[in-house]
Amino acid sequence: MTDSGLSAYRSWATTPLTEPPKYSVVIPAYNEEWRIVPTIGAIATQMCTLGQPWEMIIADDGSTDTTVELVQELELANLQLLIAEQNGGKGSAVRRGMLRARGDVVLFADADQSTPIEQFRDLEQRIDDGYDVVVGSRAADGAEVENKSFVRKVFSTGLNLIVRNVFRIPVSDTQCGFKMFTADAADRLFRRQLIDEFSFDLEILYLAQKFDMKTAEVPVRWIDAPGSKVEAGKVALEFLRDLAIISWNDVRGRYKSDNHERPDQGVDSSMPPMAV
Amino acid sequence: MIITATPATDGPDAFLLSGRFDAHQAERFRTAVDPSLDVDQPHIDVDLSDVEFIDSTALAEIVRVMKRCREREGDLRLLAPSDPVRVILELTRLDAAFTIV
Repeated sequence: MTDSGLSAYRSWATTPLTEPPKYSVVIPAYNEEWRIVPTIGAIATQMCTLGQPWEMIIADDGSTDTTVELVQELELANLQLLIAEQNGGKGSAVRRGMLRARGDVVLFADADQSTPIEQFRDLEQRIDDGYDVVVGSRAADGAEVENKSFVRKVFSTGLNLIVRNVFRIPVSDTQCGFKMFTADAADRLFRRQLIDEFSFDLEILYLAQKFDMKTAEVPVRWIDAPGSKVEAGKVALEFLRDLAIISWNDVRGRYKSDNHERPDQGVDSSMPPMAV
Repeated sequence: MIITATPATDGPDAFLLSGRFDAHQAERFRTAVDPSLDVDQPHIDVDLSDVEFIDSTALAEIVRVMKRCREREGDLRLLAPSDPVRVILELTRLDAAFTIV
């Protein structure tokens, strides 16, 4: 291990930030006791090499296994753990994390490390170019996808065709769990979000387009992680249902104002580990 | 993940791993390493300097091999773990269980 890398990690792990973070990494977690600790280790190590203040937010989604206890026992100084009393859906967990984030740039990443965190800078580059939302994509030219099942490929291809042609969202992969936002974009989008299940990504991208936010897609390397909780057929049906719900919500004007409040940050810049 | 095996001529059997060591790779690791366990006092070195990520299934696999070695009065050593692997070993508290060189 490089001394500088080790030193940066040790400092991050033991010393609360004394300045606002530049980056926030939000990880939704539902019954991830088997995967969450290696993912935290990999992300923490990589993010500490960037040389900027950053925070990690684990947004529990009502886990019934030992996910919460495992994260608490790590006692990492700049990791916030948001505990949910009950399972509300991935979209609800991501929203709580995104609205808690303090960074100028906010990434949400799946707990299985299926999109390696080493690609953070690739997405940030597009934020630097002036984009508001940057989507990691398994379908864009240059993407590398490993171990994705045939069934999931068929479903995702079909659904994305519908998204592009019916919703006119210029993104070839709406569901990849690796998306980056400016703080302003995250705040505006996730306050309006209404979908709490897997297709919340679609709603967020729909809203980004509705609000004329600049959205970019970046090809990523993606490795299917065994133990995925995604049931392709069930999710596809929910996805189609939610397409209709999003359209209906828009017709009814439900995206004209905020649907969620940003939680009180407590004005504590040091932000010790907390349970919310 | 790439596994480069170097059978011992005078010392531990050595395995150099490169890439992502996860559940998809555990069976390949087992197939490569298990023949080295079929001796008295097996000694195995696993070089993790070029491993970018290791998941819980892979950790369980190297724990299994370590236990098998020690049952036969041998050992498994982890050589030069990469930054993320070392941190993951620490967070899982497995750094105390292994001989890390």
